[in-house]
Amino acid sequence: MTPKVKRLFIAVILVQIVFLLGIVGYRETILALGRTAVLQTVPVDPRDLFKGEHVILRYEITTLGNQIESGSKRYLLRGEINEGDTVYVAISNVDKDDFSLDVRTGGPTDRTDLFIKGRVIARKSGIATVEYGIEQYFVPEGRGLEIEQADDVKVRVKINRSGVAAIEELIVDDEVWQP
Amino acid sequence: MTSETPNNDSDQANNQPLGETPEPAGQGADVQIDPRHNWLKSRINQWRESGLISGEQSEAIIKFEEVPEAPFRLGMRFNRLIVILSTLGAILIGAGIISFVAANWQGLPAIAKLALLIGGQTATYWAAYQIQFVRGFPKVGGALMFTGAAWFGANVFLVAQSYHLATDNPDLMIWWFLGILPLAYLARSKAITVMAVGIAVVGVSWKAAAQTDDAASGLLVMAMLLFVGAAIYSIGANHLRRENLKFYAGPYLVAGALLAIFVTYLFTFDDIFSDFSRGSVTKTWEVSGGYFALGAVVSAISVATLALFGRSAIRAGGSLTKKLAEPATVVLVVIAGWLIVAHPFESSVPYVVEFNLLLLVLIFGTITLGIVNKREALVNVGIIFFVIDLSTRYIELTIDMLDTSLAFIVGGILLLGVGYGMERARRKLLVQFGITEAVNHDS
Repeated sequence: MTPKVKRLFIAVILVQIVFLLGIVGYRETILALGRTAVLQTVPVDPRDLFKGEHVILRYEITTLGNQIESGSKRYLLRGEINEGDTVYVAISNVDKDDFSLDVRTGGPTDRTDLFIKGRVIARKSGIATVEYGIEQYFVPEGRGLEIEQADDVKVRVKINRSGVAAIEELIVDDEVWQP
Repeated sequence: MTSETPNNDSDQANNQPLGETPEPAGQGADVQIDPRHNWLKSRINQWRESGLISGEQSEAIIKFEEVPEAPFRLGMRFNRLIVILSTLGAILIGAGIISFVAANWQGLPAIAKLALLIGGQTATYWAAYQIQFVRGFPKVGGALMFTGAAWFGANVFLVAQSYHLATDNPDLMIWWFLGILPLAYLARSKAITVMAVGIAVVGVSWKAAAQTDDAASGLLVMAMLLFVGAAIYSIGANHLRRENLKFYAGPYLVAGALLAIFVTYLFTFDDIFSDFSRGSVTKTWEVSGGYFALGAVVSAISVATLALFGRSAIRAGGSLTKKLAEPATVVLVVIAGWLIVAHPFESSVPYVVEFNLLLLVLIFGTITLGIVNKREALVNVGIIFFVIDLSTRYIELTIDMLDTSLAFIVGGILLLGVGYGMERARRKLLVQFGITEAVNHDS
């Protein structure tokens, strides 16, 4: 191996390491500096030999429509929203008494205090199904059923200024779940 | 087409026909000539005839290069054994460390997980470099390098998993591919090239599947595989034109040809159109912008590579047909893929006819190019699909016409005849490749 090729070889390995550290750094930054939100879920426990045991998390804000009410909140689909669009879903408003939360493309409005970014994966009959990149939670072998059989599962997420969310922890039946 | 020299010893080992393990000298008393030596002899004769070297010099070179048959074949066997043992050993160590990390995943602090994953990967690369390039053990070092490349892929998925990111994401495969492709070239590793090509095929088709509607996603993913096959083959053909890249051409050419022919074969069935489009052939699906963009990028890679290929082909001289046959076939494959995406016909018949014709072009094209470039693997791909296609058409034709037992008998006779013809043709080919095969009477 010539010195030039050797330098390139080292550079490629460094790029691989930087790439891995980049993922770690990005997610750690969200977890350290992001704003906290607690999302209500409906978990399902699939088993996948290749992916390891994990729970699929379906949130209240996964299915959004003008006629759907989630708890005391109401999500309003603003403007034209199509399959494949990136949407900004308000989690809370500046005016806390305002229970109508916007779902729109292009970016959140000024009245939005906290928002989460997602991608519309299906759009049918006035309902948008949205994914936020926080739909999988990996658990140790054999522990998935505990979450699946719980009465109430919430997810504490951290959200950065761009609306990207990262899972911080699970709250199962009002207690922080210890893996 | 440029004719090639044998790549290297390990390639020669791989070119040994399947199922025919060479007997040690003296046991079978068969005619067995070292193919490398055969090739060298014919070249030296040409050099002597063209006046480059004298008769004396040619004899001296032949004598100098002469390796006794038995040690040569013993060396070949050991080569393979070393590669198999080293690869297995490296995989076992890697799998052990990764499964240790996975088993104790939750118990390990984040920094320890990271240190184990990235530290293990770096240590594997360091050991591979030391063994392959510093100490000069290319087989063991190459096996470790391959493990390092696989380890990087495992790390991409494990890091994503540790932050609960969706691991059913084709982008992770694309990142893996991009991370290891340069390594294949820097470490001169065919194994990593094969791995990278495989990951690219899976990653792009997975991405295409994620971009398509349920009703027609099967057809659209298959069309994307045609684009990928064409692109990979074009890249391989371009590698073949450049002396310093020739070594890596094989995996691209074989994977590209295999993919394009296999998908074309699937498209020759009428049922595939009605199955995927839920009975109403076409006009039932809309293609997303994301799919169009992906298809355009992959097709653009084929076109750009063909442009480079065309330039060097024109410089190389030869007849126009010879120059254009290969690029034209690649273009045909790309056009066929876009016809599926655009689906201009309401009936499945034009598609079935088109793909049957394309399959014939690809089969005979692959065999011809394999012969011209002395690539046995390409000839094998062509011949295998020729037999598969012939059998398929026979079954299609006779299933309703003949009595089942008669159909089996006639089919059996036909296959025996094809087998006999193929064995004769294959022997002739091996002679053309400079390989004199032992006549072994064992079946």
